[in-house]
Amino acid sequence: MKKKLLATVLSAVMVISMMAGCGAAADTAGSGVQGAARETETKTETATAKEADPIPASDDASGDVTIWYYWETAGHQEALDHIIQEFNNQQSNIKVQAKYVPFADFKKQLSIGASAGELPDIVILDNPDHASYAAMGIFADITDRFDVSSYYPGPVNSCTLDGKLYGVPFGSNDLVLFYNEDMLKDAGCDVPTTWDELLDVAKKTTKGNVYGFAHCALQNEEGTFNFLPWVWSTGQTSYEINSEGGIKALEFEKSLVESGAFPKEAINWTQGDTMNQFISGNLAMMINGTWQIPTMRQEVPDLKWNVAPIPQDKQQASGLGGENYAVIAGGNEEAAIKFLQYATSGDTCLYMMDHMGYISSDSKIAETQFKGDAVYQVFVDEMKYANARGPLPEWPDISDAISLAFNKVITGESAPDAAAAEAQATIDGILGN
Amino acid sequence: MKKVKEFFRYENAGLLFILPAFLYMLVFVGYPILSNLILSFQDVSVKNLVHGQKHFVGLTNYIQIFKDEVFVKAMGNTLKFTVYCLIFQFLIGFLLALLFNKKFTFAKTVRGLTMIPWMMPMTVTALMFKFMFSTDVGIINYILKCLHLIQNNVEWLTTPRTAMIAVVAANVWIGIPFNTILLATGLTTIPQELYESASVDGANGWQQLIKITLPLLRPTIESVLVLGFIYTFKVYDLVYVMTEGGPVNSTHLLSTYSYKLSFDLFQYSKGSTVANVLFLILFLVGLLYLKITMQGEEE
Repeated sequence: MKKKLLATVLSAVMVISMMAGCGAAADTAGSGVQGAARETETKTETATAKEADPIPASDDASGDVTIWYYWETAGHQEALDHIIQEFNNQQSNIKVQAKYVPFADFKKQLSIGASAGELPDIVILDNPDHASYAAMGIFADITDRFDVSSYYPGPVNSCTLDGKLYGVPFGSNDLVLFYNEDMLKDAGCDVPTTWDELLDVAKKTTKGNVYGFAHCALQNEEGTFNFLPWVWSTGQTSYEINSEGGIKALEFEKSLVESGAFPKEAINWTQGDTMNQFISGNLAMMINGTWQIPTMRQEVPDLKWNVAPIPQDKQQASGLGGENYAVIAGGNEEAAIKFLQYATSGDTCLYMMDHMGYISSDSKIAETQFKGDAVYQVFVDEMKYANARGPLPEWPDISDAISLAFNKVITGESAPDAAAAEAQATIDGILGN
Repeated sequence: MKKVKEFFRYENAGLLFILPAFLYMLVFVGYPILSNLILSFQDVSVKNLVHGQKHFVGLTNYIQIFKDEVFVKAMGNTLKFTVYCLIFQFLIGFLLALLFNKKFTFAKTVRGLTMIPWMMPMTVTALMFKFMFSTDVGIINYILKCLHLIQNNVEWLTTPRTAMIAVVAANVWIGIPFNTILLATGLTTIPQELYESASVDGANGWQQLIKITLPLLRPTIESVLVLGFIYTFKVYDLVYVMTEGGPVNSTHLLSTYSYKLSFDLFQYSKGSTVANVLFLILFLVGLLYLKITMQGEEE
């Protein structure tokens, strides 16, 4: 009798602990009670939004605003935290908090959040992905609710889909050629400006453990970003890989690898890895972005390096990178927009940009940035030649085809023309040509 | 009251005991599988994940997937990866088990130490092997060069063929302890008298291994192989960290490709279709395992 009672009690305890276990799991997934509460809130809000669209802008925006971002650099995180602190201290209605989601998980978390209805109120995301999520319908249309008239057209374009504004450009960056001044001097070389010169200098600076030149060539968006300037420089677009220029760009990549000056391992290097190779003295030249400058100045103050436009074929070209803010549809939209207005206003924006090594997407602010800083000036000048990727909801598929093509060429799996033809078939399939 | 007491007698009480596990399985295993299955029969992509009609498309995704070059490659890769891993981790694991079955000083300590690869987080192992297989600064190229086995550095992770060897090597290293422990435990169940009488009859070590050890160890070997197959077939993190399926898709497994389709390319339905193919194969192997263990119990 006693035993049975004990058994019943025990199994009851097990059931309860199981339930408790579920609760704990949900908590760690980042939602918890608050998340659940917000979800119901979101639902009612969307319901009312459908009835009375557009929501009238009200001055009594309040509540919590959560931001998701993916910057792993400590300086970036501190800068964001700093302006959030300032905002929270200035007023008492809105409380903003930021959550770091690793870049590798960012797209996954957004997708899962979208289908589960568990999203933050603002996301800061990579601009080529913006169109995909806008097409998914998770971003609020802020066309008449935010003024972007003084912004550069490229970044604004990346937030726009079907003529509607689905976000605010956060800040931009672009790519240039970084070179180690001492290594070039030792090899008796000038800074290369054309592809032929780049190949020549790369060969001459390759010795011992030092490779002449590299750029991140990962088989993903990061790699595509670094490869596409070659294509654009020939005058072709991202959608014309199987063209004279596209094949020429792949041929050039091939000649770099075959000369032994370009490490094949770059297909496993992120842009951060590439920068680390450069500052460790294993690379004489690299392609990299604006955002590395603060880190490089801090980590290796004695290293003599400089920047120059990316060597060109027919015309000057660079890649436009950067992030956008997006307001989640059905979240705490009014409060989120309030915060964005604060974050993009003159001094606050300038603080963020300067600490992160970004160029503001707002031309009025950008013009006042980096006065007298020769290195940054090169980046600002290059902005005029910086091309955006997309915007297209299917951009990730296009990017995948392109990155597969140059990976096949770098590893020697395919000849440039074959790789280009294959990529083009995929791209045409996606574009419906 | 009496009826309640009756109810909790024997079998019914047993049912109560499995109820928690059953509920757990239903919610955390059953539901995702079902939901994934439904997803694979729809056309969910970036455009209709949240809003918009999700159409039922029948087997379209499955047909398209089998026409997809990368999927076919990933399927082949998964099989290759699994078979190579099983062969090497089983053979090495078996030899170690035989070694640790001998009684020598520190046998137990060393056996415990060999468990380390099994306990280490997969990501750590993956990063470690990534560095070890690095072309210019990796220790593997360094050792091979010191032994004069190679002249130039091997580009392990940037050449399709060798990248596969590298991920297999890493996974074998992780899998060996699992094989060793299970086989060593199996060995202890074989009565020592059999070996004694065999050696009295003049059987040498090899004959003892073939005639006594292997036949008596058969149930253990079968379990080890089937469980090993299941663990290896669904490996994901190791490959994702080491190569992300590259170079040029040469190390994509079903698991990594499914992830890529869903979360990099936003083709959710296709991603779930690949996951279902993976699930179906493992499900069949799981049934086989159940059959083997049940046979074992009947004997």
